Amino acid sequence: MTKAGDWQSYKRVLLPPVKDLHHLDVYRAGGGYEALRAVLSDWKPDEVTEEVKRSGLRGRGGAGFPTGLKWSFMPPVKPNVPRYLCCNADESEPGTFKDRQLMEYNPHLMFEGILIAGYAMSLKACYLYVRGEFANWITLLQDELSKLYDAKLAGSNILGTGFSMDIIMHKGAGAYICGEETSLMESLEGKRAYPRIKPPFPAQSGIWGYPTTINNVETLACAPLIISRGGDWFAGVGANKHPGPVLYGISGHVNRPGVYEYPTGMLITDLLDIAGGIRGNKKLKALVPGGASVPVLRADMIDGVTMDVESLHEAGSMMGTAGMLFLDEDTDMVAFLRRVARFYHHESCGQCTPCREGTGWMENLITRIDDGEGNLRDLDLLLDLCDQMEGRTVCALADAAAWPVRNTIKRFRGDFERRCRPSAWAVNA
Amino acid sequence: MPKVTIDGEEYAFEGQPGLLQFCLDHGIELPHFCYHSSMSVPANCRQCLVDVGAPVRDRKTGEFQLEENGEKVIRYFPKLQTSCSHVISDGQVVHTARTSEKVERAQRDTMEFLLINHPLDCPICDQAGHCPLQIQAYKYGPEGSRFEFRKVHKPKKVKLGPNVVLDAERCINCTRCVRFTDEISRSGQLTIIERGVKNYPITPPGVSFDEPYSMNVIDLCPVGALTSADFRFQARIWEMASTPSITTTNAKGSNCFLWVRDNLVMRITPRPNPDVNEFWIPDEDRLTYRWFNENRPCGPAALSKSGACSWDEAIQETAEILRNTGKETLFLASARATVEDNWMLMQLAEAVGGQVAGYIPHIEQGHGDGWLRTDDRTPNSQGCERLGLRPVDMELWGARLGAGEVKGLYVLEDDPVAAGLCSAQALENVQVILHYYNTTNQTLPSANVALPAATVAETIGTYVNEAGRAQRVVPAKVIKGVNRTLMMQMGLSRADQHGTPFDRWHNESHYVDCKPSWEIIPLIARNLDVEIAAQSPKKIMQHISASIPAFAGATYKAMGLSGVTLPPIEIEVAG
Repeated sequence: MTKAGDWQSYKRVLLPPVKDLHHLDVYRAGGGYEALRAVLSDWKPDEVTEEVKRSGLRGRGGAGFPTGLKWSFMPPVKPNVPRYLCCNADESEPGTFKDRQLMEYNPHLMFEGILIAGYAMSLKACYLYVRGEFANWITLLQDELSKLYDAKLAGSNILGTGFSMDIIMHKGAGAYICGEETSLMESLEGKRAYPRIKPPFPAQSGIWGYPTTINNVETLACAPLIISRGGDWFAGVGANKHPGPVLYGISGHVNRPGVYEYPTGMLITDLLDIAGGIRGNKKLKALVPGGASVPVLRADMIDGVTMDVESLHEAGSMMGTAGMLFLDEDTDMVAFLRRVARFYHHESCGQCTPCREGTGWMENLITRIDDGEGNLRDLDLLLDLCDQMEGRTVCALADAAAWPVRNTIKRFRGDFERRCRPSAWAVNA
Repeated sequence: MPKVTIDGEEYAFEGQPGLLQFCLDHGIELPHFCYHSSMSVPANCRQCLVDVGAPVRDRKTGEFQLEENGEKVIRYFPKLQTSCSHVISDGQVVHTARTSEKVERAQRDTMEFLLINHPLDCPICDQAGHCPLQIQAYKYGPEGSRFEFRKVHKPKKVKLGPNVVLDAERCINCTRCVRFTDEISRSGQLTIIERGVKNYPITPPGVSFDEPYSMNVIDLCPVGALTSADFRFQARIWEMASTPSITTTNAKGSNCFLWVRDNLVMRITPRPNPDVNEFWIPDEDRLTYRWFNENRPCGPAALSKSGACSWDEAIQETAEILRNTGKETLFLASARATVEDNWMLMQLAEAVGGQVAGYIPHIEQGHGDGWLRTDDRTPNSQGCERLGLRPVDMELWGARLGAGEVKGLYVLEDDPVAAGLCSAQALENVQVILHYYNTTNQTLPSANVALPAATVAETIGTYVNEAGRAQRVVPAKVIKGVNRTLMMQMGLSRADQHGTPFDRWHNESHYVDCKPSWEIIPLIARNLDVEIAAQSPKKIMQHISASIPAFAGATYKAMGLSGVTLPPIEIEVAG
């Protein structure tokens, strides 16, 4: 028995197999918005937060911070001081595409989660920041949102309970950095999306300087499930310290890539089987378990490793967004890293020196190695640059750029060395 | 009082000071670029990283945990902290690059990153010599570079506005200029465009960087990315001497430096003075630098001598005219001249028996902006008022001059024709004695005797700004036949921030043949057999501050380089 329990008979809850679930009437027919009704009529805001705490839900946006705890960071309500919720739908990490599915197939679960979270934190407005490239999903969400307003499920006096909350959609303009929560707030305010210095944290000073909580789409979508089925049910699904259903976005050299819903704590090998194994009957070479920024794992490192915070940490990687990228034995790790480095170079906002200059230098070096012009000393220089960038910037983009470089070189050093010319001198001579 | 330990030394502090400012205030150098005390803290250059920790308390007892050797256990932040954004709290322990190898390395690493895409064209860069990047790269940077790629290329020589030129490649994206237009001048005319390593500051489309304070970003820029359209490539820093002075285009009296090479004022930059102009001066103040160099007179002239003459001849001629016109001489003081000059003029008028009718007001309605520009376009009307002088009744005296009721007109450092007091024809039958700065003076053709006067850049004297702050100036450049007293002041005037042997006072080029009015007037008086003690401006000011209550306390010693605020007086509104 794995941490995921009896996953073969697992019934999907985030993306249940219901036709046209994205329509409001279909969603309501299946018991949708009943959790919201229950919460609004029978629960106190604090009780909702307590239930979410009890569920053990961790953020699904990558950092894995306990959601209930985050909600409880909101300061006490003060009259005439607005406070905001922000739903982060700026999904743009390479290898991550699960929020998109949720917004397409079950958007009302997210909307209901937003309203429940809004009630739990006693706030009246939520910004829904959607990645601009998701043009079709934005249209779809807008349609459903207007239906929501028509059905008195959003806006003023929701379901006649006296609770009012607005959901305002905001379209991103094509920058990865806007997915970083403080940068997202700047962008929302109409400013250049430079991440802010923390502290102050968003709960103290967020959008327009007011208390704000930012949650990922999938995180908020878990809220109605926790209310309707109970925090204890949620805590019992999957891995102990990282429970709940989770959307695995599986991509790469597998036979059936796609988004799969299963409990946390799934064995990576099981997930590979679910995705139909490596295509062309090849062998697995490497796995990026949670989006491009998390450290890559070699095939020999994944035996017995499960998809949860603890197990992946032990294995030397991170859960991230559970966007799993499988790479087969023919993969050129140098080319792979070149592409990743190019992404972070392109997306660095340019605010902090180490990230602005370092990401470009890294791409230059890896490109040179990939082109066969590299020297062995370049590998040491790359690792040096990782040291020079990590932990020295306002936001975590520099870290996200350095981790894959450091770990891919460390874990596939042979692949890199074979492509390099021998150095005449060492880099730190 | 709470204490913080920096590099092993304990400092007491009050309130919640920022660590970087606290260190700078206590003489502890920390390299930094983006931080500026008058603007918000973006912490984006990452150069001022330090290691910060705090002693650990036992959770149960509340006592400090101790090491085996009895020292407190210090728990450090997991990451290095940017000192600019870090607020000190009691008991914290800070290590700078002097005591922490980790910090030293981090600062060197950041500097390496800053330099990889910087053009390193210091040999032709205006900023070289007082460039924070250059200085700190030598001090904290790595030796050599490991960067073996083509640098990022960005626009060069971008004219942002009439006065500011951008070289985007030199930019290190500290955003000081953008924050200046957002937070200080509030014009919002600059923004960062592009992303990542390609980004640089520029105006939004269709906008020219033409706000009246635009050139302050040139001084703010920690590299040579923003340069003055005028001063670009004109002089190296080490060829010039910078002399503390004040600006004279309006009544604010903003503090400035006059940068002089070969007795030419090359540029004017702000001099920080929290009580007057903080760190800024308006562009119009900077652009007056030409006025000190161009159209300057070459010695005195007298109509009776058919033009140029010696100082002796000009002074004798002046005395002769005053003897003839006597009581029917109209003396005009000047809000452009120093307090000392005006006081001397009052002494001369008294000796001759004529009267000082007042000073010509130069009010330009709507020019003031409530900040560093005022409606009053003169630097010293308040000084005149405090001497008991009032704005001259333009209509009355214009009419009298037109009617031929005035035989002699003695003008101190002003231009009655240009100011509209009278026409040049009205002066045809008037004996005019004129102290003037520039040959563009429109009263000059009507003058019987023209006496070139020293400007603010060449004289010693006191100006009183609109808020009643008396500020002293010292000579920034040499004039011909310089007075010995003046010379001594010059010796004291050298700020020598960047002084090198290239600029010395014995350079004889570009001498202007003029004299300070406080030096000319006693010479005239002597020819009239009246003795006005030919005192030094310092002595004059001592006398004034002792005898006129409105100037109480305004001695040179008290004024120093940043001025002194005088007691308030009742004042008639000029005009």
